[in-house]
Amino acid sequence: MRRILQAACGAVAMLALGGASARADVTVLGWPGGPEEVALRATVEAYNKQPSVAADDKVKLIFFNRDNFWDKLQADLAAGTAEFDVNLTATYAVGRYAPFMDPIDLPAAAHTTFSDGVLKTMQFEGKQYGVPTDLSLHFLYYRTDLIAKLLADPTWKAKYTEIAQAKWGKALAPKDPDQWTWDDYAATALFFTRSLNSDSPTRYGTVLQMKNLLFNMMVWHSTARSFGGNWTDASGAVTVDGPGYRAGLELYKKLYDAGTSPKDSLSYEFAEANAAFGSGQVATMLQWNAAFGDLDNKEKNPTVAGKIGTVAPPAGPEGRFTHIHGLGLGLNASTKHKDGALKFLNWLATPDAMLLYAKAGGSPALQPAIVEKIASDRPDLVKLGDYAGKYGFVMNGATSAKALQIYQLQAKEFTGYWAGTETEDAALKNVAAGMAELLKK
Amino acid sequence: MARRKPAAAPTRLGGRRDGWLMIAPLTALLVVMLAVPLAVDLVYAVSRVTFETLRAPSVIGFGNFAVVLRDGQFWGAMLFSLRFAVLVTAAELLLALTLAIFLAPLLASIPWLMAPLLLPMMVAPALVGLMYRLVLHEFVGAVPYYFVLLTGDSPSFLGPDTAFWTLVTIETLQWTPFALLILYTAYQSIPTDVREAASLDGTGPLQMLRYVELPLMRPTILAVGFIRFIDSFRVFDNVYTLTGAGAGGDTTTISIYIYEAFFRRDDIGVAVAASMILLAIAFAMLTVVLRWSERRA
Amino acid sequence: MRRGISALRWLVLLVAVVALNAPVIVTLVTSFKSDAEIAANPSLVIEAPTVSNYVRIFAMSDRFDILHFLTNSVVEAALGTVLAIALALPAAYGMIRFRVGLAWLFPPVVNLRAIPLIIFAIPIYLMYQAAGLLDTRFGLALILCLVNLPLVLVLLVNAVRDVPIELDEAARIDGAGPWTILLRVVLPLVRPMIASSTVLAFIYAWNEFLFGLMLTTRDAVPVTVGASFFFSASGGGVQWGVAAAVMMLSTLPPLLLGLFAYRHIGRSMTAGAIKG
Repeated sequence: MRRILQAACGAVAMLALGGASARADVTVLGWPGGPEEVALRATVEAYNKQPSVAADDKVKLIFFNRDNFWDKLQADLAAGTAEFDVNLTATYAVGRYAPFMDPIDLPAAAHTTFSDGVLKTMQFEGKQYGVPTDLSLHFLYYRTDLIAKLLADPTWKAKYTEIAQAKWGKALAPKDPDQWTWDDYAATALFFTRSLNSDSPTRYGTVLQMKNLLFNMMVWHSTARSFGGNWTDASGAVTVDGPGYRAGLELYKKLYDAGTSPKDSLSYEFAEANAAFGSGQVATMLQWNAAFGDLDNKEKNPTVAGKIGTVAPPAGPEGRFTHIHGLGLGLNASTKHKDGALKFLNWLATPDAMLLYAKAGGSPALQPAIVEKIASDRPDLVKLGDYAGKYGFVMNGATSAKALQIYQLQAKEFTGYWAGTETEDAALKNVAAGMAELLKK
Repeated sequence: MARRKPAAAPTRLGGRRDGWLMIAPLTALLVVMLAVPLAVDLVYAVSRVTFETLRAPSVIGFGNFAVVLRDGQFWGAMLFSLRFAVLVTAAELLLALTLAIFLAPLLASIPWLMAPLLLPMMVAPALVGLMYRLVLHEFVGAVPYYFVLLTGDSPSFLGPDTAFWTLVTIETLQWTPFALLILYTAYQSIPTDVREAASLDGTGPLQMLRYVELPLMRPTILAVGFIRFIDSFRVFDNVYTLTGAGAGGDTTTISIYIYEAFFRRDDIGVAVAASMILLAIAFAMLTVVLRWSERRA
Repeated sequence: MRRGISALRWLVLLVAVVALNAPVIVTLVTSFKSDAEIAANPSLVIEAPTVSNYVRIFAMSDRFDILHFLTNSVVEAALGTVLAIALALPAAYGMIRFRVGLAWLFPPVVNLRAIPLIIFAIPIYLMYQAAGLLDTRFGLALILCLVNLPLVLVLLVNAVRDVPIELDEAARIDGAGPWTILLRVVLPLVRPMIASSTVLAFIYAWNEFLFGLMLTTRDAVPVTVGASFFFSASGGGVQWGVAAAVMMLSTLPPLLLGLFAYRHIGRSMTAGAIKG
């Protein structure tokens, strides 16, 4: 009798609580507030319309806010939440969240959609943890009108060479940005800085993002890598205290100290740099590809829209590189809808799904054969895929479990050097020591 | 004429049992809400625990405390917070006291004028920090624009030398209304007969201020000063959104240090240990202040 | 002379209001600028005022439900404030009049304010998860009450201390029990401070971000968290115009409360001062 009563109570309790948690659908947590969100909504809507999708497997979307998204995700995953079945992840966070997510086996179609390099952005210790939905990399942004004048006007050309010799020690001549080395970038920045060249139409030649922020480190890594810098060598020994990193650090410092970047650059990141470039008072900028859409929009940035050129970052002695990382969707280990979630993820990795996603505003890096199908709608994606293939790199160890902390350590120490509150040697020593600790298995 | 007994007089109104009933609801809530978290935190403070091992920390003794006390960044953050708190509190008290007393007759006759003075507090500090990123921006911000109009050039607001002062100014501007409200309330609560008696004795307004009004307001001034000191000591939101930890970590307040230890270094034990140390210091400070104010009252 | 000082008072008030509210003023102006103008015109004089930012917020209500967030904030902050006052007033009275808890309860409660409450975030998250309080308005309101207890207690202890004990004793002689004395004699006299505490506690509760972030996902999300839909404060873009509009909308409830409370406080303050 007692047993029956207990079972009955249990059943009632299950029903009472169960009503809340046994949702008959798959919940996907996405990145809010931007084109990724719009694209994901459109894609999910198309998925749900498909007759092959059972009622239980229909997808629902939730979005946290953007601010502190990763911290909240960390807390929720660690507590074993079942509020969402599929969640956002990113290249630099794959290692961090891997303990709370399940690896997935993508279908063969995934290799038609994405190249191996792109799939790697979602891998940790050889296992696939997500479908790479959006890729981020860096462009060199420049004002096409100003550069065109520089290449044509003889007075400007002469002044350019003069300033380059005086301030940078090399008599350089103006070149097309796609041919630039970091020296050309520096010379152009110096030329377009009004405090150094009273004829400059812009106040600053460039805008450097030097806030103590891990994303700014990623931007700077495109520079460091082209000088040969890397986190570790093939054997796993930390190599930051070397010529590659030093050259990269000194480039930024010299340019900032010369006044080519706004005074408050040490607190600048994405939003501030875009505001500066968009005001028309800055000639060049190293920035994420995502900025292009808004900057080139006449409604949002009338001063510079239509006058922006984008190429891959300038080349260094070791080659031309851009940091790449991806956003993607992966499987929450505590999910209660594993099958439904996997069905969605496997569908998402197919060419048709990704083309839909791209058409709706997302930025996946697709194989050339696939991306040419929407080349007319999204010409920027062709460039994205192209650059990712040709110049993309991921630092050795950048998907490790403590990758985020390594970025943060570098950000703190290197911005200290740039601000003048720390010596280069001290900064590099601290970073090397910290990284050795963090990369230990 | 009724005279008020000094607050420290050991006059009790009645049996202790009634007193216990009065504090019971508050105590009950605290026990329910905080007993478990506090216990968990005490365990965390002496364990190595990360987000992966939330439910299974491994106790290691006082190692976390040693890590914190040896960490130069911790002491740097404490020093930053201390400088910040002292300056902000002093500025706010001075400003608020002056405004409260000077504007009192105006506010008394038109009470709702207080509301626009309180408006700065009503925007969440995190959002204020965000807005300042726009306001102080060299190219699209209002402040540099007007600086250039008036003086031809705008200074660097968030550079290595100036960020601290900018942050102090922002905090003071946002929270002076808090002190203003409380001090004004206290000022208005001084019974009129006290003032009348003093003026009958021939006291002029300045002497009234110095010998009658300010002394009566002292407990409130101390209370407000203490609260604002604690608040500005543990400031987080507006600093974090405006400058983050700062270039080279030079705008790291103690709360930012703890937040980063928590979420960035995934070192929950250390973060909790640092908070415990902070708590101990605050406790010591409060005891000193309480004892001092009881003695002087 | 009189009129001169009076005029000076108005001037000082005006300067104070403008100086203290400088960021709010800029936010207000920004909320009426188009994106193009924000990028090109930093001054406070708007060339082409527009309400498009506000329209955009409400047009987005399927993606970003601002009314839902505002309602959540109002309910949670109001509940949290009422709870805090209801618990702190008797406690303050008990501590001052009965000397119970002044030594062992008051200091810890006040020190609560010194602790970065983030360290309680995880244990409370786990507790709430077990109790089913995650993502509920009541759950967040409890935390908001907790967060405000130190401040409210300090203010009310101070206020009760200022009430002459003779009044209590007189009422006791008349046969009133302690709760009656509290509610009938002391409460009216500390009303200004209660009103101030209410306004302040509501503001602090309204501004709470961290617990709002950690303990809610969808149903109980307050506007401080919801507002950051339009920006990622670190590492992302900021839609300044819309963000400014959201900020302005989210200051309305506390502002209205302040205005309303001030009509009352004004009256009770002058009343209180005359008695005595």
